[in-house]
Amino acid sequence: MFDGALDKYLFVYKTRIIRSFTYKFEVYGNILMQVIIMITTAFFWKALFGSETFGNGITADSMLTYTVMSSVLSVLFTTGVERRMQQSVEKGSIAIDMMRPVNVFGVFLAEDLGSLTALLVQNLLPILLLGSLLIQVPVIASPSAIPLFAVSLVLSMGINWLMAAIFGMWAFTAISMDALFQAKKHLIRLLSGSIIPIWFFPKWLADILNALPFVYIYQLPLDIYIGSATDEEIYSRILLQLVWALVLAALFCLLSKRVLKKVLVQGG
Amino acid sequence: MITVRDLYKEYRVTERGRGLGGTLKALFKQEEKIIKAVNGLDFYVGKGEIVGFIGPNGSGKSTTIKMMTGILAPTSGEVLIDGRNITRYRKEAVRDIGVVFGQRTQLNWDLRLEESFELLRHIYRIEKKDYRETLEVMDSILGVGELLNKPVRQMSLGQRVKGDLTAAMLHSPKVLFLDEPTIGLDVGSKYALRKFIKEINAIKGTTVILTTHDLGDIQELCERLIIINGGVMMEDGNLSEIVERIAPYRTLAVEYYDAVVPEHAKAEILSVSDNVVRYKFMKADMTAAELIRDLSELYPIKDVGIEEAGIDDIIRIAYEMKK
Repeated sequence: MFDGALDKYLFVYKTRIIRSFTYKFEVYGNILMQVIIMITTAFFWKALFGSETFGNGITADSMLTYTVMSSVLSVLFTTGVERRMQQSVEKGSIAIDMMRPVNVFGVFLAEDLGSLTALLVQNLLPILLLGSLLIQVPVIASPSAIPLFAVSLVLSMGINWLMAAIFGMWAFTAISMDALFQAKKHLIRLLSGSIIPIWFFPKWLADILNALPFVYIYQLPLDIYIGSATDEEIYSRILLQLVWALVLAALFCLLSKRVLKKVLVQGG
Repeated sequence: MITVRDLYKEYRVTERGRGLGGTLKALFKQEEKIIKAVNGLDFYVGKGEIVGFIGPNGSGKSTTIKMMTGILAPTSGEVLIDGRNITRYRKEAVRDIGVVFGQRTQLNWDLRLEESFELLRHIYRIEKKDYRETLEVMDSILGVGELLNKPVRQMSLGQRVKGDLTAAMLHSPKVLFLDEPTIGLDVGSKYALRKFIKEINAIKGTTVILTTHDLGDIQELCERLIIINGGVMMEDGNLSEIVERIAPYRTLAVEYYDAVVPEHAKAEILSVSDNVVRYKFMKADMTAAELIRDLSELYPIKDVGIEEAGIDDIIRIAYEMKK
């Protein structure tokens, strides 16, 4: 029964992959943007560090790895769910989703996973290659960290998607969301350690950020990758990450049922 | 098949004043207004009926269709499709319905038509055998076979509507909702669409709910009309009954050999020009033959013509009525 129920979402996923490959040019812009971000950040770290070593054993080399991996991970944190929800409300296409025997959010998730799969080839691979060529080959600090990195990365992607979905639900009751989506995007960039690791922030600020979900998107998997935290630290932080994932999942379940009843359908 | 019971829908809209001042004011204080789009609808549609659901723009008919298809949740009241509440059991109940919106498509713009159909086959979990059979039937009625390999974005509107109709029928729904399906179609495509509605109704016994502004659609397809305006039902019945109720009169134009104006106790004179006199009489009072006979006893008659209220008049009058 489970297989049967999942089959339709699997097909939505497959269809989205086919679709993603029909838009070839849309994705190149992001490669260019990520390369520019990587290069400027890399110069910044080189100038700042020189040949010195930072407190917790961080060298310029590990910061370059951090930079390249941050750009690579940013591809995995691409979500379409907010825009999808906004457009379905603006253009009224939510009607099409609602008239089918599917869980609407299940479809959104399957679509995002489909786009993501296509992006692995279209975006992640080129960015990894260009980063390796132009800056540095990002090698993981220790091979034994790979399983932990994988676990925390999956949780990161979950948190990131859930935050996007919960945020996108606003669009179901209010119509114009562009400014808020932009604000959220930049807030995540700043507060998640995607550009500047939060251990560079003053302690009080870092403490606050550690309590928020944002750092569990970029910072934690990157810390594991470059080996800038002890094992114990990592375990306790993965636990916190799991807690945030569960809290957001619960909030998502609660809101998604309510929000569908409030759908506004625009037009004809 | 469809039960609509005590259905209400209210929208809350925020109002914004005019111009820059109003926009700034709206930042601090928003005035809310409640719009009653659907105001207590009750009706039942039986299996195999073709029902025209009509009303002027802004009458609440689209809102009603959206509630009947599970897209909008009613403020109160319920819609049952084959006995199942569509709001509460949306995922199960929508299996019994197919929906086509003339103004938007459920086909995937970037895919070939067949790929969109395959997606639906998986979503509704249709057996391959049934899927092929339905597709064959649809091909014989609409000729969609030749479109299967075409990307949807390259299709003409007529082809796209054919694709959408097929998509809505793939899972063999018991009820088909068509929301302004003929909008923007040329004569040939309209004809194909009407033929399609009649045939699936005959072959599969599909119940059809149709909203349209096209009088041809109404005349050719609908055995029953539901006219709504201002969110309430104005009329419900078959076309001739409604004509009878709204326009229970006829007009008889009589041309005499001379410029005379003979009167009749049961007829009202509408106009006189040259030798032609136009009489309005109630169908219940007498037949046209009786009136002609009575008048011809007074003066010799050269020619007569009977004018019925046209369907467009009927609809216009119904739209203008207030309850």
